[in-house]
Amino acid sequence: MGESSVIGAGTVVSGHIHGQGSLEILGRVEGDVSVTGNVVIGPAGRVRGNVSGAQLTISGQVQGDLRGTLAVLLEPGARVQGDISGPRVGIAPGAFARGHVTTDGDATAAPARPAAPVARATPPVAPARVAPAAVPAPRVPPPAAPVARFAPPAAPVVRAAPPATPIARVAPPVAPIARQSPPPARVEPRPAPAPAIKAPQPAPAQRAAPAARPAPTPATVPPPRQPEPQRLDPAQRASAPAPEKTFEPLRPIKHEPRRPPPPVVPVISKGTKAKKKKSHD
Amino acid sequence: MAGTVIGEGLTIEGDITGDEEIVIHGNLRGRLTTTDAVTVGGTAVVGADITGASLSVAGQVTGDVTATERVDIQPGGKLVGDIKAARFTIADGASFKGNVDMEV
Repeated sequence: MGESSVIGAGTVVSGHIHGQGSLEILGRVEGDVSVTGNVVIGPAGRVRGNVSGAQLTISGQVQGDLRGTLAVLLEPGARVQGDISGPRVGIAPGAFARGHVTTDGDATAAPARPAAPVARATPPVAPARVAPAAVPAPRVPPPAAPVARFAPPAAPVVRAAPPATPIARVAPPVAPIARQSPPPARVEPRPAPAPAIKAPQPAPAQRAAPAARPAPTPATVPPPRQPEPQRLDPAQRASAPAPEKTFEPLRPIKHEPRRPPPPVVPVISKGTKAKKKKSHD
Repeated sequence: MAGTVIGEGLTIEGDITGDEEIVIHGNLRGRLTTTDAVTVGGTAVVGADITGASLSVAGQVTGDVTATERVDIQPGGKLVGDIKAARFTIADGASFKGNVDMEV
């Protein structure tokens, strides 16, 4: 029963292999392999198909999924294209693997995913600022300190960017700008790129005209509103360069709540009153 | 040691081809082709056409056999199928059903 089996180096099996006992594959197998014992795939062994067993030790090539109820070990020289799963998964240096790897505990899988998004959010932000504030780059480091106090990773980045740009051009406006940018960042934790974009906008507005400042103050009051930025934007745009336009879409999202008020008044269209009068008459 | 061993409890559904000795103690359904010797152990159940240099059967084989050298059915062995081999022996206690062609 639990006898061990060997697929020799000069042997090709095209078909499924399943049963009890352990299996050593030194040759080629084109088909699924499923045994209760251990599976060893030698350096010259090649398998095209799914492999499952107690402990899989792979030194050869596998195109297919690996499932080990005890462990999956990829030895140096192993080449695996397929998903790997097992309570223990070992990939030695020199082994090649392409596919999804799952170690059975669900807990480990969950943390891995959240971590990934965070990492993505931060990197995009940083590059965006670097580009606009390329000249004042040296100043950027100081703003970093305040950022650290603010805890949230996304928020700090935003602040750092605005201060850098304003300092270069106008000292006083810098402060208000900084306030504006941070709130939006907190409000929208998901879109990292958005905050980055905002930062660059304020800077250009300041240069062009003071009008830009009023806009920022309202922004601080209602952190999440889209409509406001849109209205303000046109004025700013006139003076602002092309890059600003590209950023505009981001603002609208924050100021959305404000929109409702304006529509309330002008809802009645021309001629409606006249029609009413006529009907009464 | 044999190049390829199919242990007892193991089942292969498909073709086996090779250039080395093959020993079967388990189950095989499909086809078996090699240029070397084939040994079917006492616990083996083979439903396959077998081609090899020689064949020794102690278990059960169902299928046509072509051997360039010889075919031996051991005591307790059972073979159902046509045999094409230069030499062919059936031991006392073995069972066989099929045609034999020793012209090769």
